[in-house]
Amino acid sequence: MEILRCEGVRKIYGSGGSRESALDGIDLSVEKGEFVAIVGASGSGKSTLLHILGSVDQPTEGKVLVEGVDISSMNRTESAIFRRRKVGLVYQFYNLIPTLTVRKNILMPLLLDKKKVRQEYFEQVVNALGIADKLEFLPNQLSGGQQQRAAIARSLIYRPAILLADEPTGNLDQKNSKEIIDMLKLSNRNLNQTILLITHDEKIALEADRIVTIEDGRIVNDQRRR
Amino acid sequence: MWKDYSAEFIKRNKASSASIVAAAFISALFLSLLCGLFYNFWIYEVESVTMEEGDWQGRIAGVCADDIEMIRNFANVEKAEINGALSEGENLVADVWFSDMGSIYRELPLIAEKLGLDEGALSYHELLLSRYMIHDPNDPAPPLLMGFFLILLLVVSVSLILIIHNAFAVSMDARIHQFGILSSIGAAPGQIFACLMHEAAALCVLPVLLGSGVGIAGSAGILALVNFFAEEMPGRHEAVFGYHPLVFVLTMAVSALTVFFSACLPAKKLSRLTPLEAIRGTGDPELKKKKRSRVLSMLFGIEGELAGNALAAQKKALRTSTLSLTLSFLGFTVMLCFFTLAGISTRHTYFERYQDAWDVMVTLEDTEIGNFAHGQAIRDLDGVESSVVYQKAQAVCLLPESGMSGELLELGGLETVAGSAERTEDGDYMVEAPLVIMDDPGFEEYCRQLGVAPGTDGAIVLNRIWDSIHSNFRYKEYVSFLNGGQDTVTLQNAAEPEHTTEIPVLAYTQETPVLREEYANYALVQILPLSLWEQIGEQIGGAEADTYIRILGTDGATLSELNVLQNEILQATRQSGAVTVENRVQEKITDDAVRHGMMVIFGAFCVLLAAIGIANVFSNTLGFLRQRRREFARYASVGMTPQSMQKMFFIEALVIAGRPLLVTLPITVAVVAFMITASNLDPMEFLAEAPVVPILVFIFTIFVFVGLAYYVGGRRMLRCGLSEALRNENVV
Repeated sequence: MEILRCEGVRKIYGSGGSRESALDGIDLSVEKGEFVAIVGASGSGKSTLLHILGSVDQPTEGKVLVEGVDISSMNRTESAIFRRRKVGLVYQFYNLIPTLTVRKNILMPLLLDKKKVRQEYFEQVVNALGIADKLEFLPNQLSGGQQQRAAIARSLIYRPAILLADEPTGNLDQKNSKEIIDMLKLSNRNLNQTILLITHDEKIALEADRIVTIEDGRIVNDQRRR
Repeated sequence: MWKDYSAEFIKRNKASSASIVAAAFISALFLSLLCGLFYNFWIYEVESVTMEEGDWQGRIAGVCADDIEMIRNFANVEKAEINGALSEGENLVADVWFSDMGSIYRELPLIAEKLGLDEGALSYHELLLSRYMIHDPNDPAPPLLMGFFLILLLVVSVSLILIIHNAFAVSMDARIHQFGILSSIGAAPGQIFACLMHEAAALCVLPVLLGSGVGIAGSAGILALVNFFAEEMPGRHEAVFGYHPLVFVLTMAVSALTVFFSACLPAKKLSRLTPLEAIRGTGDPELKKKKRSRVLSMLFGIEGELAGNALAAQKKALRTSTLSLTLSFLGFTVMLCFFTLAGISTRHTYFERYQDAWDVMVTLEDTEIGNFAHGQAIRDLDGVESSVVYQKAQAVCLLPESGMSGELLELGGLETVAGSAERTEDGDYMVEAPLVIMDDPGFEEYCRQLGVAPGTDGAIVLNRIWDSIHSNFRYKEYVSFLNGGQDTVTLQNAAEPEHTTEIPVLAYTQETPVLREEYANYALVQILPLSLWEQIGEQIGGAEADTYIRILGTDGATLSELNVLQNEILQATRQSGAVTVENRVQEKITDDAVRHGMMVIFGAFCVLLAAIGIANVFSNTLGFLRQRRREFARYASVGMTPQSMQKMFFIEALVIAGRPLLVTLPITVAVVAFMITASNLDPMEFLAEAPVVPILVFIFTIFVFVGLAYYVGGRRMLRCGLSEALRNENVV
C-alpha cells in the first residue's frame, strides 16, 4: 500500500539571478512499513526533501501526497495539524521543549490535539525506548542518547503515517547511535512504522530496506535491498 | 573585526537591533527627563529663596559707613551694600556677595576679624548657599538636596541597566554560536568584547541623542503642567523652563555610562565563553527545575502550561517589568484611594461642615475684641449678610454632679464618657469652659437665632457633650451636659483658681453659633456678649491673643464677589495691625488644586514606573525573533498551529499585566480597609466615591500596552517561516 508519493517536486530558493535549485524534479513512492534511507552529500537536497515531506516547507512545484492527501498546498494551520497527526519528526539536535518534562514532551502532539493518552501504548513506547524512569526529568537533565530516545518516543506517540528522521545519530556516540537505529528498526518491524531516514553514514544506511541516493537535488539511485 | 563582522551584521539585521535601539532611547529619555526636571526644580528653589529672602550671601551687622569700602576691597568680594531695612542709625548692616561663593564660610570671618567684629555679627544665607551645595563646615547635618538627586540618578541608572542589559543580552546570546565559530578560528576574548561594545556604541548614538531631546521636551511639558495646576496656589511664582549645556553634558555622560554597563555585562559574559561552550550553547531560556503552571494549564490547556513555563524561564528578563508594574499598580490604586478618603474626610471636617458658617474670615493678630472698632463698618459693607466679631478665652467651670443631665448620668457620667474627670475637694467637677466672646450685635443675632430674647447681661451655654460611647469622632452624636436647672454658672480663672465669678445664664442650647469653630468634646462652651466680658474679663482672664471676624456674604456668592468683599474688608481693617483674610471659595479652589497637583505628581511617578515596566516588556518582545525563534520552531515541528501560538502570546501578556493586578488588589483592599477603619469613615461613603474609573483606565492602558508589545513581538515571530527557523536549527 502506497503511503507517500512525490510527483515532480521542485524547490527553488531565492529569486532573479540568485535562484538556486535545491530539489529538481523528485519522483518518489514509499510503501507502508518501508524503512527508507536517503543518502547524499552535504547540500544535495536531502534535508530540503525531508522538510517538504514533513510539511515544514512547501515545494515550488510538484505534488506530495501522504495517504492520498496532497500536502503541498496546505496553509500553515492545516500543515501544523497534518504534522501533529501524520508525521513524526526526529532531528539531530532532538528539539525537545526544554521547559517541559520528558513525559509532556512525548505527549505534546496529543495534548495539542486535546486527545487522551492510550496509556498502554505510551508505556509500550517508553519501555521499548528505555526511558520509562526518565519521564519526570527535564530534557537538560538527560544525556544526548536519552534525549534522542525521548524525541523518537514523541514522534511515535501519534502513530504517524511516516517517521522522518534527519541525521538522528549525528550528535551521538557509536554505542548510542547503534541503539537508536535498533530502536527505529524495532518500531519499523513491530509497529509496521514507515520510516524515512536521512543520513550520510553508509553503515547506517545499510540497515534500511531501501536506499535512495540524491545528488544535486535529483534522485540518482534507488536501491531496494530487501 | 568590527568592520568585517559587526558593521555588516548590523546592516543586514536591522530588525534584531530594534530592541537595543528602543532600550537606549528609553534610558536616555528617562535620564534626560530626570536631569531636566531636577535642574528646573533647583532653579525654582533658588528663585523662591531669592524672592522671599533676597540674594545676599553673607551679612555683617554693626559696621560703619567707612567699613563698606574696606569690605569691597577684599579680593573675593564681588559686591557689598548697606541693607537699609535692617540698619538703624549709625549701626549699619552690610550685605556681602562673593565672586567665589564656596569660600564664604572661610572668608567672611576673616573680614569680620579685620573690622574688629566678632563672629556673632555675621550671618549667612544658609538656605541659598545650601542650594549651591555650600554648607557650613561646622554644621553636622547639612541639607542634602544634591546628594539626594545623585542617589536618585544612580538608582534610576542602575534600574535602567537592569532593564536594558536584557536587550543587549538577547541580541548577543542569539549569536553565541557565531561567536563560538569566531573564537574557534582565533578571535581573542578581548576582540569579541571590543567588537560587541563597538556594536553597542554604533547602535546607541542616535537613540541616545534623540531620547535626550525628547526628555528635554518632556521636562518642559511637565513644568508647564505643574504651572497649570498650581496657577491658583497663593504665594507661588510661575516656574520658567530653563536648560544649561552642562545639564546636557551630564545627561549624555550618564546615558553613555548606562548604555556602556548594559552592554558590558552580557558582552563580558560572552567573551569569556570557551569556543566549545559557545558552539554548543543554544541560548535557550531553560528551567532549572521542574515547574507546572497548574492554574494556567487548567484554564488554557497545554498552551497555558507552555506559556507559564516560558514565563518562568524568562523570569530574570521580566523581573524589572514585574516589579515596576506591581509597584505602579499598587502606588496608583493606593494613592487614588488615599486621596479619595482624604477628600471625604476634609469635606466632613471642614468644607461641608462650615459651608454655611463663613465666607470670609479675618484674623486680627494681637488685637483685643474691645479694641476693635470697625465691626459695624464691616457689617455695613455691600454684600455682607452677617458679620460677627469674636475672641476666644479659656476658663474653668465648677459643676456639681447634681447639675449633670440624666442622659449623661445614664451613660455612666463624665468619667465614663470623657475617660477621666477632675473633681474638687467638695466633689464638684472641674470642667473646661471655653468662652466665645461676641460683639454685642453678633450675640444678639445668635439670641434671635435661638429664639431667646436678645440681651447682653448673660451667657448662653452650649449644653452638649460628645456621646463617645455610641458614636465615633467622625459621626458625632451629642447628649445634654447639664440638666439646665441652674440660672447661673460659676466661672473660674484657669490660671488663678482663686478668681471666680458667677454669670447669669440666658439659655441652654445644643445649637452652635454660626462660626468656623471646632469645640472641645467634653467642655462646657459658653457664648458671652462683649458687654458682659468687659465686666468679668479682668477676673477670668485667659483670652487668646487674636480676634476674629466671621463674615457671611450673600447666598451663593461667587469667587469674584468674595474677592471684592475681601478687598473692602482689608480696606476697612487696614489700621488694625496685622490682618489675615481668608476666603472660603478661594480656599476650596486652592485645596482642590493642591490635591489635584499632588495627585498629578504621584500619578506621574506611577506612570513612570509603569512606563519602565512596559519598556521592559517591549524590550523583551522585540527580542523574541532572536530569543524564542528556536522555541517556537520546536512547537511548530510537533504540530502547534499559529492560532495556538497566538494563544500562548495572549496568555503570556495576560499574566504579565494581570499578575501585578492580582498581587495589588488584596493589598489595596487591606490598606483601604485600614484607612477607612482608622478614619472612622462609612465604607459605603467611600464605595460611592471609589476611584473605580481612573483605576480601570490605568489597568486597561497597561493591559493595552503589554498586549501591544506582545502583538508586535508575536507578529514578527509568526511571520518568520518555520522552515527557515528549522533550517537554522539544523545548522547548529
